[in-house]
Amino acid sequence: MLQKLKRGGPPPRSGSPRSRPEQGAEERPALEPHRAGNEPTAPPPRLRAAAAAVSVSKMAVEGGLWAASASGPAVHATPEQSHTERLVELPASFRELLTFFCTNTTIHGTIRLVCSSPNRLKKVSWGLLLLGTLGVFSWQLGLLLEQYWCYPVIMAVSVHSESKIFPSVTLCDMNPQRPRSLRYHLEALDAFAQESIYSLYKFNFKEGRDTLFTNVPGPEPPFKLDRGIRLQRLRHLGNQHKVGFKLCNSTGGDCFYRTYSSGVTAAQEWYHFHYMDILGLMPTAGEDSHQSHFVLSCRYGSKDCQAKHFRTFHHPTYGSCYTFEGVCAAQHPGITHKISLVLRTEPQVGFPLLSTKADIKVMIHGHNHTPFLEHRGFSVRPGTETTIGIREDEVRRLGSPYSRCTDGSEGVDVRLLYNSSYTRQACLVSCFQQLMVENCSCGYFLHPLPAGAQYCSRARHSAWGHCFYRLHQALEDHRLSCDSRCPRPCRETSYKLSARTSRWPSAKSANWILGVLGEQTPHQSPSPRSHVAKVNILYQELNYRMVDEAPVYSVPQLLSATGSLWSLWFGSSVLSVLELLELLLDATALALLLGFRWLCGAQVSQRGTSTASGPACSHAGPGAGTLKSEPLGTQWGLWTASS
Amino acid sequence: MAPGEKIKAKIKKNLPVRGPQAPTLRDLMHWYCMNTNTHGCRRIVVSRGRLRRLLWILFTLTAVALIVWQCALLVSSFYTVSVSIKVHFQKLDFPAVTICNINPYKYSVVRDLLADLDQETRGALRTLYGFSEVKSRKRRGAASENPAWAGIQPKFLNTIPLLAFSENEKGKARDFFTGRKRKVDGTIIHRASNVMQVHESKKTVGFQLCPSNDTSNCATYTFSSGVNAIQEWYKLHYMNIMAQVPLEKKINMSYSAEELLVTCSFDGTSCDARNFTLFHHPMYGNCYTFNNRENETTLSTSRGGSEYGLQVILYVDEEEYNPFLVSSTGAKVLIHQQNEYPFIEDVGTEIETAMSTSIGMHLTESFKLSEPYSQCTEDGRDVPVTNIYNASYSLQVCLYSCFQTKMVEKCGCAQYSQPLPPNASYCNYQQNSNWMYCYYELYQAFVKEELDCQTVCRETCRFKEWTLTASLAQWPSEASEKWLLRVLTWDQGQQINKQLNKTDLAKLLIFYKDLNQRSIMESPANSIEVLLSNFGGQLGLWMSCSVVCVIEIIEVFFIDSFSIIARRQWQKAKEWWARKQTAPSQQGQDNPALQMDEDLPTFTSALHLPPAPGAQVPGTPPPRYNTLHLERAFSHQLPDTQAPSEP
Repeated sequence: MLQKLKRGGPPPRSGSPRSRPEQGAEERPALEPHRAGNEPTAPPPRLRAAAAAVSVSKMAVEGGLWAASASGPAVHATPEQSHTERLVELPASFRELLTFFCTNTTIHGTIRLVCSSPNRLKKVSWGLLLLGTLGVFSWQLGLLLEQYWCYPVIMAVSVHSESKIFPSVTLCDMNPQRPRSLRYHLEALDAFAQESIYSLYKFNFKEGRDTLFTNVPGPEPPFKLDRGIRLQRLRHLGNQHKVGFKLCNSTGGDCFYRTYSSGVTAAQEWYHFHYMDILGLMPTAGEDSHQSHFVLSCRYGSKDCQAKHFRTFHHPTYGSCYTFEGVCAAQHPGITHKISLVLRTEPQVGFPLLSTKADIKVMIHGHNHTPFLEHRGFSVRPGTETTIGIREDEVRRLGSPYSRCTDGSEGVDVRLLYNSSYTRQACLVSCFQQLMVENCSCGYFLHPLPAGAQYCSRARHSAWGHCFYRLHQALEDHRLSCDSRCPRPCRETSYKLSARTSRWPSAKSANWILGVLGEQTPHQSPSPRSHVAKVNILYQELNYRMVDEAPVYSVPQLLSATGSLWSLWFGSSVLSVLELLELLLDATALALLLGFRWLCGAQVSQRGTSTASGPACSHAGPGAGTLKSEPLGTQWGLWTASS
Repeated sequence: MAPGEKIKAKIKKNLPVRGPQAPTLRDLMHWYCMNTNTHGCRRIVVSRGRLRRLLWILFTLTAVALIVWQCALLVSSFYTVSVSIKVHFQKLDFPAVTICNINPYKYSVVRDLLADLDQETRGALRTLYGFSEVKSRKRRGAASENPAWAGIQPKFLNTIPLLAFSENEKGKARDFFTGRKRKVDGTIIHRASNVMQVHESKKTVGFQLCPSNDTSNCATYTFSSGVNAIQEWYKLHYMNIMAQVPLEKKINMSYSAEELLVTCSFDGTSCDARNFTLFHHPMYGNCYTFNNRENETTLSTSRGGSEYGLQVILYVDEEEYNPFLVSSTGAKVLIHQQNEYPFIEDVGTEIETAMSTSIGMHLTESFKLSEPYSQCTEDGRDVPVTNIYNASYSLQVCLYSCFQTKMVEKCGCAQYSQPLPPNASYCNYQQNSNWMYCYYELYQAFVKEELDCQTVCRETCRFKEWTLTASLAQWPSEASEKWLLRVLTWDQGQQINKQLNKTDLAKLLIFYKDLNQRSIMESPANSIEVLLSNFGGQLGLWMSCSVVCVIEIIEVFFIDSFSIIARRQWQKAKEWWARKQTAPSQQGQDNPALQMDEDLPTFTSALHLPPAPGAQVPGTPPPRYNTLHLERAFSHQLPDTQAPSEP
C-alpha cells in the first residue's frame, strides 16, 4: 500500500530484481512468484482509494520518502542494482533487520551477545564481558570528563622580547586649583578648619598665614557651611586620643562616628569631606582653572615630547595632571627609549590639609586606562633625579569557561562611567557611583556622574555624608555586589616599578641649570634646587614576561583521549554508533508499520469488506509483534520479502 | 601455445605483485568497502535505499574530514612548550658588579682639553640666558664685543651653531653668535611647535646639522628646554674631542680604583681595590667590576642578607664634576653576569650621595627552547652580526654591534660611546666632517627600525636576571657623621688631601635577599609519542581506523586505482593503435563489405577480407565453413554477387 502511495512521487518498481538470492536463497523462491504474479494485477485507482481510506502512517505521507522494499538478508546490494533502488528501503521483518545488522555491523566483540548463535554459556560470558568493559569504559570516561569539566588551566610563564608600546605616564602636581566661584566657601571652610584645630590642639594656624584670609571677595553667596559635622575628641569612646566626626541621616537618627586614632588623619579626612561637599555645589567650576606648567622639559627617546602626545586634565585633589600617552608605535624593550622629564613643584596654595606633601605624583599605567592615582601613584622627591625602571608583566586569561574574565565589553553589567578601556578599578568605581546614585540620590564628586544625576552637596542632599560613608564601608567589607559584578580583564598588563635616585642638579651644574630653567619661567622666581626634580622612565629589562593560561585539555586532545578509551574497550567508532542509531530507527519504523498493518487488518477483518485489500491487512496482525516474518499481501510488495 | 607465451604466463602466475583485485574502479571500491575494517565504508555498500546510502557516504566523509581537521589541530599545537618553575636553595654565585662614577673624568685634569669648549658654552649660556645688555648688543651683531670669547675665534659654535628660534618667525632662526638671521629650511626634526606649553618664552633653542657642502639638506634639532639643547650640543663636541684622545691617557684622566672605593667588604671579609677589574666606558670613564677577575673563581655567598653581600663606600668627588656633561651627582651600579658586557648607560642603577642604598637581589634564570619552538639563539653564532664586544652574546650586544657596523658602513667611522669594530676609528670632526649629521640620521632610522637590526638580532635562549629592590636610608646619621667622616678622611689620606664631606660619599650594599634561585624552564609540551597516540585516538574515535587501515587506503585508493586507470588507458591506447594500424589497409582495399563492421562477417564478406598478416594459410576459410556447399559456387561468381550479398 505504501508502495502504491508513492505513485505520486517516484515511480515504484516493485518487481525489480532487488535481491539476488545468494544468501537469502532459502526465502527467495517463495517470494518471487508472489511478486511476479501479484504486481501487475494491482489496479492503481483502487489502491489509491484504499490508501486514502486508511490514511496511512506519517512515514508514508511524508513526501514519499519511505518506500517499502524487500531487502535481501545480507550483502548483495551490488552497485549495478542501484538504479532500481528507492530512497529508503526497510527490511521486511525484525529478524531480517537483525540479520542484516549482525552481518554488516562493525562493532567488535560484544555484538556477539546478540549476533552469535544461541549458546547460553557464550551469551553469559559475552554479557559479562560487555558489562565489564562498559563499566571500565564509563568509569574512565567519567574520570576524563570530570577533569575536563573542571576546565583546568596551566599557567605558562614565558619571556618575550617583542616590541611593546610604551606605557602611559601620568604626572600630577598635587596642587589643586581652587575654582574662583567657590573661593568664598572654601575660605569659610579654611576658617572653620582652623577653628576646629585650635579648639582641639590649641594650635593657631593664623600665624604667618594671614594673607590667606585677608582677601575674601566681596559678594557672599548664600551658603552655610555645615557646622554640624565637626571634628571632636571622642572621649566617651574610651580612648583619650581618638578624634573623629559624627554623621547622622537626614532625620538626625542612625548616627555613627568616623573615628581615627591620629588627629592628623582625622583632620585630613574631615577636611576632604567638606571640600568635596563644597565642590559638589558647582561641578563645572573646577574646569576654569588655568593649567599649571610644572613640566619644564620633556624628552622621549631623542626627541622632544610633542603636544599631541599629552593630555591634560584637572583632578580635584591632585591638581593639574599631564598624561603622556607615549608614542603609539611599538618599540623594542631593548633599545634605550626613555622619557626624561624635568618637573617643578610649586608652593601650595590654600590650606595645607588637603595634601600634606610637596611633591609630584607619577603613575604608570596602560594605554587608554584611567589613572587612579590614589591607588598606584608614587611620589617624586624634589632635588633628585629619579630613574624609574619598568618591568612589564602581561597576564592573558582564557576566559569562559576556564576562568571568569572579560575582554572589556562582554559579561559586565556595569556601565562604565569612564571614557576609557575597561579596568577593574574603573568598573568598581562606576559600580559604586551607580549604587551611590541609587541609594543616596547623588553622586560622589571625585567620580564621574551617570546620566541624569547630580553631585552630592549639602545644599541639595542634606545627609549625603552619612549615606556615603555607610556605602563606602559596605564596599570595603565586600558587602556590595560590585566585586562580583566586575570581573578581571582577560588581558592585563601590570607594571612593576623600581626607582633609583641620585642628586640633581649636581653642585657644579646647579648654577647654569637652574638659571636656564628659571629663564623658561620668567615671571616666577628662579626655582631653588629643592623645587625641581628630574624623572627618567625607562624599560629596565630587555624583555617582558607573559603569563599565559592554556587549557590542560583542548578539545582535540579530549576527543583523542575518548577515542583511545573507546577503541581500547569497544573497538567501535562514532560510525558504529550511527549504525546502532540506524538500527534503532529502522526498528521503530518497522514496528510502526507492522503495528499499523495489524490495526488495519483488524479493522478489515471486523468489517469483512474488500478482498483486494484484505490480504494485506489480514496478515499483518500476527506478524507485528514477533520477529517472525510472514508472507504479506501483494500490495506490500517488497515489504514482504520473507516468509 | 608458443613456448614464449607459456613462460610469460608462468611468470605472471608467480609474480609477487598482482594487479588490483577488480577489473574496474567500481569493482575495486566495492571490494574495498566489503573487506575493509574501517567503519562506514561497508555501510555505503550494503545499505538499502539511495537516501540511506547517501547518508552513509556523507557520514563517512564527515568522519574523514573530522579526523583530518582534528589531526591538523593537534599538529599545529605540537610545537608548544610547557613551562616549569623550579626553586633551588643553594649557594649562589655572586654576580659581577660594575660601579662607575657618573662623571667620567676629573674635571681638573680634563679641563685643558675642554677649555675652549667650556668657554664657548659659557658664552652661549650668557648670551641666551644671561644679561639683557648682552642680548641687545647681540642684535646689533657685535659678537666680538662679548667678553666671554673676546679674541678667540670660536670654532665649536662655527661648526655647529646654536640657534634660537622665535615663534613668530617661521622658517627663520637667529644664529645667536653671529646675530645673523639665517633661513632654516629642510627638515626640522621635531620642531617644538607648541610642545607642552611649558614656558611662555618665544624662544626655542636648537642646532642644525648639515651634510658637508650641502646646506640645503640640513636637519634642525630643537629642544623645548635650553638645558637639553646645551647638554646635547656639548656632548656632541665632547665626543669629538675625546675621540682623539688615546685610551691610556683617558684611563689616567679618570678615577683610580683606590679613589673611588673608600671601603669594601664582601661576605663579612674585607676586600680592596685589587678585587676590582678596570673597565673603561667611553661615557662613564673608569668603571670597576667586582667579581669579574679572569683566572679566578667566581665568588659566591654562603648566606643571604645584607651582612653577607658586597658593602662599599664610594667617594664621589663632586668638586671634579663636569658641569655641562653631567647634571646629577652619584654613582652608577650595574649587576650582570661575569662574561656579560655592562650596559651601564641603559640599565644602570643610580646611587645617591649622602645615602645608604641597599640593593636586594633575587636571581631568576630562564631557559628557552630554541628552534622550532622559538626564535632564540644559544650563543649568537647563528646571528649574522659580528659581535664587536669582548663579551658573550646578548640581545643588547647584538643591537649595538649591528648599529655600530652600520655606522662604519654609512658614515665611515664609529660612534664614540660603543666599542670599535675592527679597522675602524672613532668619529671626529677633523676626519669625518659630517659624521654628526650622518649619525643622527642613522639613529633615527635605527629607532624607526629601518636598519633591520631589530629583526636580525634574536634573544638568547638562556639568561640570568637579577631582580633588584632598592631602598634608601639617610647616611651617615647625624650622630655618627662626625667621627665617621673623620676616620674615612684619615683612611683616604694618601689619595685625597681634603676633608671629606658627607655629600661626597655614598654607601652601597648589594646582597642576595635569600639564597634561592628561580629557574624558569621550558620543555616541549608534546612528544612524538603523545602526538601519535592522539592521532590513534582520533582515528579510532571516528572510524575505528588504524595505521593498517591508512595503508590499506593508500593501497586501494592510490596504487590500485591508478593501476586500473593506467590499465584501461593502456588498453584504450592499444586499441586505438591497433585501429590506426589496420585503418590504412582497409581503406586501400575499398571493400564495401567493411562498411558493416559491427556485424559479424558474413561468409561472403569474409572472403573479401584481406589476408591476415602472418596467417599461415592466407584465405583459408574456417573449418566449419568448409562444410558449406555454397563455397565453390560463390567463389566463382564472386564479382557478381557483391552487391546482393548484403541488402
